[in-house]
Amino acid sequence: MFEKFPSLGQLKNDRRFVFILLLGALMFAGMFIYPIYIGFLLILSLLIFGTLSSVWKEPHIRLSALFLLLILAVSAIAVHGIKFGIDFMGGTRIPIVLEHSVSDLTMQDMVNTIKKRASVIGLTEIKVKAVGNSEIYVELPSADEEMVSRVEDILEKQGVYLGVVDGKTAITGQDILPGTIYRVPTQYLGGSDWGVGFSITKAGAEHFAEIVKGKANYPLYMFLDRPSNAFVVVNREQLKESLPESVEMDDALAAMKEALELDGDNTIIVFEEDVLPGMNLSNRTYAVLRKNAPQSVKDIFSSAGIMTKEVEDNEMIPEISYGGVGGAMVVAKWEAVGLLSSPFLSPQITDGIPSYSYSITGPASGAGQEKVLNAERRVKEIESILKGGALPVRITLGSKTTIPAPLGQEFLRLSLIGLLVAFLIVSLVISLTYRRLNVILPVIVVTLAEVIVLIAITGSFTIDLATMAGIIAAVGVSVDAQIIITDELLKKHGTKEEKLDKAMSIINTNVTVAILAMLPLLFSGMVEIIGFAVATILGALLGALLSRPAYAAIAGELI
Amino acid sequence: MLPNIYKGNYLLALIPPLLLIALAICFVLANGINLGVDFEGGTLATLQTKNSVDASWLESKLSEEGFANPHVNVFQTTYGYKVEVEFAQSEEIKRAESLKSEFHALLPEVSNLEVRYLSTGENGEEYTQKKGKLYSIAEEMINGLAGMNEVVSNKNLNELNGLFASSYSAVYKNYEKKVGAAINKHVSYDSISLQTVSPALSTQFIEKAGNVVLFSAILSTLFVFVVFRTAVPSAAVLIGAFSDVVIALGAMSFFGIPLTLASFAALIMLVGYSLDTDVLLTMRMLKREGDPREKAFDAMKTGITMSTTAIVAFSALFALAYLTRISTYYEISSVVICGLIGDIFATWGINAVILLKYMLGRR
Repeated sequence: MFEKFPSLGQLKNDRRFVFILLLGALMFAGMFIYPIYIGFLLILSLLIFGTLSSVWKEPHIRLSALFLLLILAVSAIAVHGIKFGIDFMGGTRIPIVLEHSVSDLTMQDMVNTIKKRASVIGLTEIKVKAVGNSEIYVELPSADEEMVSRVEDILEKQGVYLGVVDGKTAITGQDILPGTIYRVPTQYLGGSDWGVGFSITKAGAEHFAEIVKGKANYPLYMFLDRPSNAFVVVNREQLKESLPESVEMDDALAAMKEALELDGDNTIIVFEEDVLPGMNLSNRTYAVLRKNAPQSVKDIFSSAGIMTKEVEDNEMIPEISYGGVGGAMVVAKWEAVGLLSSPFLSPQITDGIPSYSYSITGPASGAGQEKVLNAERRVKEIESILKGGALPVRITLGSKTTIPAPLGQEFLRLSLIGLLVAFLIVSLVISLTYRRLNVILPVIVVTLAEVIVLIAITGSFTIDLATMAGIIAAVGVSVDAQIIITDELLKKHGTKEEKLDKAMSIINTNVTVAILAMLPLLFSGMVEIIGFAVATILGALLGALLSRPAYAAIAGELI
Repeated sequence: MLPNIYKGNYLLALIPPLLLIALAICFVLANGINLGVDFEGGTLATLQTKNSVDASWLESKLSEEGFANPHVNVFQTTYGYKVEVEFAQSEEIKRAESLKSEFHALLPEVSNLEVRYLSTGENGEEYTQKKGKLYSIAEEMINGLAGMNEVVSNKNLNELNGLFASSYSAVYKNYEKKVGAAINKHVSYDSISLQTVSPALSTQFIEKAGNVVLFSAILSTLFVFVVFRTAVPSAAVLIGAFSDVVIALGAMSFFGIPLTLASFAALIMLVGYSLDTDVLLTMRMLKREGDPREKAFDAMKTGITMSTTAIVAFSALFALAYLTRISTYYEISSVVICGLIGDIFATWGINAVILLKYMLGRR
């Protein structure tokens, strides 16, 4: 039956076969080296193998391409597992309503910032997705009420902007008038590379003028969510190593202390090795420390009931610059304490006369295009600090939906049974229609392979309700092409090649139409149903590029 | 097997699909299509209960509480009952939404006018007038809709903005509380979840859905014309697909399947699928030798096998929807099953007949 297939010895000398084999090995290696890109690698393999098996028509090439993809898919599932959405795992969905509709770009910003915020509590499995351009869904794989309310708190919290000059509060987020923050046009920059302007309230303007009077060239320390009455726990070695050679440790510490100075607040810097049992912890309620700080240090704070905020190592290191009065050393940025920028007060605004509009300008590093990009980044940064939070638009939380884990698992179990049932009855219909084992078996085997690859690809992203519906649908739709091929091959006149060509031209047209009709849905941004579009389109592609040629190869030999 | 329906007077094959289409149009005109929460906006409350609830009784009770046209569905599940209550968009939320967009359009303008006026004394009149308008909008939202009892006039713009935002979310939360309380009075439930689709969001969904339909239609039409290059067969293919969607819409109207994002996705998929069978028919008819009536019948045999497997798979999904009461499954499977059945009539009754007439007429 398989006399046309080459023998093993011939295969060794078959360049095409060896090439496909090498490609498969390459993808296989890629999956292990970059496990986060598993889904994309599978799609890439599908496209490459698919194109090759449409160009090279030898049956053994087509079959081995499908077989290799199947192996890749199965190992992807084995290594990486399948990711399911909260509908199947149980969890909570919190809708976030934006103050007003935003552009796609801003939306992307919002989604990223919310992701970052939410990941602070160590839940990496939190999903954040845009719904239209005025709502965002946050999904977490937990129905635990305490966890959910922690996430809600974090999401709801608006950042607090604080500007400090010489240890006194000069300006706060409450003083900045809504909607007045703007980017200074290039022609008004006067030598600087970027600028952000804003206006403040009458009371704010008067207060600011009084505080900064006579403080020309002092730094304005701009904080977002500055901790108050806190220990800032620094690792001495790390700080020393990170400072430039020319900077003395003591000078740096003095600059850091100065940056933290604020009337009515008692935030101090301590070194990790000085945090010892029995140290005086009174008067302070908060501690900022490194994630990698020794457990013993963390324990001392937690056993005293002091709240801790953990930051990355590099966030604990201050950025030093020179300027201001007499070119003194100044902390320009220190993320651990929320110090994000320290512009210097220009002499014109320190004369004590209130003004309602101010601008912050500065230089950008780099040259050419890089400089433009850096300037752009600085503008965004300053804008978001002034707006009192990383979020460009105010948000409110909607009411949450909770899916208990046992219910989700029940849904998953039933859905998988549904998938199996769909597969079985489709096979039954095929069996009853053709009543020939040499048609039925290949159809079933090829369809099964297709479903496995489809699950592997969609499962490397997330399978939600809509995706599952698409996968079940693919079982019924993907056999269509096999039916077209079979009916064509069973015809009495014409050679096998002619019949296959005719069948393939119908199938290619069909698949293109099906994909074209679904494509707009894929790009619509309607997250609830994109999964359905993805599964349907992938199913069609998979069929057109791989399983149909492979089926044609088997069926062509058999019938 | 079936006798060849295209032997003899094949025009008779037009009757069943035309009847179906006429029926579909009648249903849609008479009953309309039930827009789900996604497109119409409003609030959907989903309850898990131990005991069954009489839907029409609950509807009348909720109407008495002052909710306009509440819609109740009760399903039995493997773990008790699932009760869905749909509330139309409430007047206060609609009002809050329009106040919100007015407020945010005016706020930056007033801020800038204020700065200008305070620093230069210019545009005083315009400033006073617009500021007055802004504060009256805020007054209606904060004290009127949200019932917050705040003195608005002594707040600066920044405080006003903050207060406005919290009163907006208070309007939503109050409404959801009201819904929850009304349900709680009449039904005892194990869990409740509320989903409110704001007017802004539902409008966006409608716009996006409109775009998807438009681009889908343009892409498919262009492609069909590129493939077949002749007017009549291309038009026949498109008429076939279009009739199918009409029949599916009629079925949605008849069975009360709501138009939601899920059923919308199903309709789009149906367009692709129904074009598939139309393409099969047309390619077999145009690009092969032989008696057109035989070719049409041959294509029909293949096409019906294809449709059967698809119907069977979607029936599995439908059964799954029945067991789990997952509305996404139910909406997709029921729309596609109706559409696929409609497709059998539309393709082999309308498209095939037009093609046959075209080919036999040319001889």
